[in-house]
Parts: sequence; structure tokens; C-alpha cells
Amino acid sequence: MRQEKPETGGAERCTFCAEAPVIRLKEPDRHLCAAHLIAEIEDRTARTIHGRELVRPHDRIAVAFSGGKDSTALLVILSRLLPSWEDVSLVAITVDEGIANYRDETIRAAEEVTKKLGIEHVCVSFTDLIGADLDALLVGRETQACSVCGILRRKALSVAAHKAGATKIATGHNLDDEAQSVLMNTLRGDLPRLVRISDADSSGCFIPRIKPLADIAEKEIAAYLFVQDLFPFLPECPYTRYALRLEVRSMLSAMEQEHPGTMRNLIKSKRAIEKYADRSGISEPLRRCRTCGDPCSGELCQVCMLRQSLGK
Amino acid sequence: MKIILPDSAIQQMPGDPVSISQILDQLGINPSGVIVSRNGKLVPEDAVATGEDEIRIIRIAHGG
Repeated sequence: MRQEKPETGGAERCTFCAEAPVIRLKEPDRHLCAAHLIAEIEDRTARTIHGRELVRPHDRIAVAFSGGKDSTALLVILSRLLPSWEDVSLVAITVDEGIANYRDETIRAAEEVTKKLGIEHVCVSFTDLIGADLDALLVGRETQACSVCGILRRKALSVAAHKAGATKIATGHNLDDEAQSVLMNTLRGDLPRLVRISDADSSGCFIPRIKPLADIAEKEIAAYLFVQDLFPFLPECPYTRYALRLEVRSMLSAMEQEHPGTMRNLIKSKRAIEKYADRSGISEPLRRCRTCGDPCSGELCQVCMLRQSLGK
Repeated sequence: MKIILPDSAIQQMPGDPVSISQILDQLGINPSGVIVSRNGKLVPEDAVATGEDEIRIIRIAHGG
């Protein structure tokens, strides 16, 4: 029987059942209820993992887990897919950069989620790594926040993943992040970074990084969590305003709204360039940092260069 | 109807039937950056709000 007030103006029912829709997706155009949205997101992630062979038997996956929405979704989905893999284990790693009025709350959220999912959780801090927190390191150089934080986060995560015996590092980068990175690297003229494949083996120098959510849009992830009461309502990082990514995100988001498919097309272009690019002619050969011995492309690794500039 | 904005500010709008996308458009909010609930339930942007509905707009992007 028809209700007096329609549930929605566009579609009253999920495309696949009689339930009310929670999201409208395009290509193909469809409305999904909560159950079908959850099933679709988990199925697409499983297909990304399977298609790119991101997980192999006996892997120990270190999940970079900030407690934010992307890493929460990643951890939830991987924990649900876990029984379908042979002898694979998960460990969640949270990096505490030391950002006042921000990170403490996200760490509490991260602890709650890992406890609920029954997943081992490790926390590592910038203070452990470099002897100072991010707020202290950035005094007078706030505009460099994202690059300083990014370098130290990658290092902290790598150290903790090694310590945990991980064979892979999984990050929550989604489709929007990937498209933003393509555009940012293009705007910076950074061809080596544009064609870098993070889930490549790296000849055993690095723990391979995998991005199981790379085909899922940020909005789909948010909806996936919201319908399961898992969406983390957390504060925004106070340094976000300094990020080039913020401008690129806003621009791409507006483009995607006007021209659906823009983000997927950007990623498609990157994959085409990757396919045809002669990486040996673009990237520097891998060397060892003369200070710490870590693999890097120059004389010093980024962390040692940063230590020098910070006087640490 | 009551509109709860991403910064938790509250705005009242007339109760005439209006789609979520029209509400977002009036507020100058890009739908790609938010999800929207109507009376606590997530709805697509072509859903209609009316009368005493409570519409909550949730920003989805924050630095991780």
C-alpha cells in the first residue's frame, strides 16, 4: 500500500529489495538500502583485494588505524573478510603524532573499535620516534605540517609494523584520496611519485603497502559506517587548513558533482601512464641512507633530512 | 523543519516538501562532501523532507 508521505522523492525502494534507500549511486544508477550498501562495499573491497592479489596466505597485515572513518571501515571490512583467507592475521597500528585537542579523542575511538572487533592494537608516538611531539616540532613552521607529519607517520608506521612482524601495511586510502594524489602529483610535476606503485614488492626493502579501499568513494565509506552506527564523529585535524590537499579536494569534489566519473577518470589516466612509463628512466635507483641505512632515493632518507632541518 | 548543520548550528526552514539536494543547494553545500540523515535515518539526496522533519548534515572529510 502506498504511504501518504513518500519515503523519498526519487526512489521509495532499494533497487534490489523493498527497503528504504540510504544512498544513490551512479554508473549504473541505483538506490541501495543499508543491507545492500554494506554487501556491495564489502564485495567491491574483496574484489579489489582478490584482483590485485593484495593479500596472500600467511600474511600478517598491519592496518594503519587512526580511528577516523577510512581506517575504521578498513579494519571492519578486513576483520569480516579474515575468515575467508588462509592463516592471515591483523594488527592495528595507531600513530600518536602529539596533536593537542585532536589525537587523544581519536586514539580513544581507535581503542574502542579494536576492543569491539577483538583485534590486537599497538600505539606508537612521535615522541618515541624523534623525541618530540608534532605540536612542538611545528612551532614557527606550521605551514609545513602535512609534509613533516607525513614523513614521520610513514616512518613510525613502518617501525611499528616491522616490530609487529607484519608482511603488509594496509592503509585506508579511498578513491577520492587516490584521485587527489594523482592531481597533486601532476600539479607539483612529480612524475616519479605519480608512477610509483606502493603495493609493488620493492625488492624486500620495504613492507609492501596495500590500499584495499582504493575503489570505494569517501561518501560510500561514510554511509557504510553510518548505517552500522560506526561513523566516528571526531574533530578535524587542526593542521588540515595548511594542506594543498584541502584545495585539491574541494576542486575535485566540485568537478565530480558537475561531471560524475572525474575521479575515476583521473585514476584511469594514472594507471595508463604507469603501464607505459619506463620507471627506470623516471625514478632514482634505490640507495641506502648514509646516516641510518634505510632505503631511500638520495644520499639521506627523508627522516634524516628532516632530523637535520629540525636539529633533532 | 529543523536543519542541523555540520558545525552543529541549527537552522529552521519552512515545512514545505523539498528534496535534500535542494536543501544542500540553498545552503551552498556540495553533496559530495556530506551525508544526510532525516529523523536519524540516512537518506539519498533525492529524498524529500517536509513538515517537522529533522535533517542532519554530516561532513565526511577530516584529516586522518
